[in-house]
Amino acid sequence: MRFVLVDRIFNLVPGESIVAETTLSSKEELFIDHFPGFPVVPGVLLTEMMAQAAGKCLDAEKAERGKAMLGKIQSATFRKWVRPDETAVIHARIASSRREYASARCYVEVAGVKVCSADLFFAFVPWDQFSPDYVDPVLNSYFGKVADNSIRKDGA
Amino acid sequence: MDGEHYMSPTEALAWIAEVFEEDLDCLNPETERKDIIGWDSMGVLALMAGLDNDFDILVSADDMQAMTKIQDILNVLEKNGKLD
Repeated sequence: MRFVLVDRIFNLVPGESIVAETTLSSKEELFIDHFPGFPVVPGVLLTEMMAQAAGKCLDAEKAERGKAMLGKIQSATFRKWVRPDETAVIHARIASSRREYASARCYVEVAGVKVCSADLFFAFVPWDQFSPDYVDPVLNSYFGKVADNSIRKDGA
Repeated sequence: MDGEHYMSPTEALAWIAEVFEEDLDCLNPETERKDIIGWDSMGVLALMAGLDNDFDILVSADDMQAMTKIQDILNVLEKNGKLD
């Protein structure tokens, strides 16, 4: 599987908050093992979804400090199972943001019910460490839709 | 914790131990940075964030790098009036 765990952004205030969504297909191989007869989305992937969403919120600022990278899971709680083909709506709010680090409070909902939450801590890797042609396709798609007015900045 | 929190030196050591994810028994004011596994590059960021979030103390990256032992962190807390 690819490791892009945010399918679509529908509300983004760079450096402040983001709402995005992801659906893991039941066809993904991981569900063969996690678990046989009882397929559920692993907690590590739910955490990664939150980290990627919060990271995109920080990256969207296009700050010189670099790309946000998950440095520490300060806390994480998993309350309900997430099944394959269920759409996870990811919420992240940046709690603190400095030149050297940032933190975010995140949670995931499925059908309006909170299934997990996490407080995440980010460090930054300078942009010159990445391939010169690196672009974030999910962020690009969002900003493209904002530019052509097919999505408003408030996500409506 | 908030910006008005004050600690005894013992409480401060416990706070530092939590930041670096170390056993409190392993830390004293003379413990050197090189002897604390958790005082690595991520530990520096965790310490910066902890000082900021818990005590409203902003320390520059250069000043953080200049710290070499636990007493240096206690000095920052004391200088900013956070120790009893």
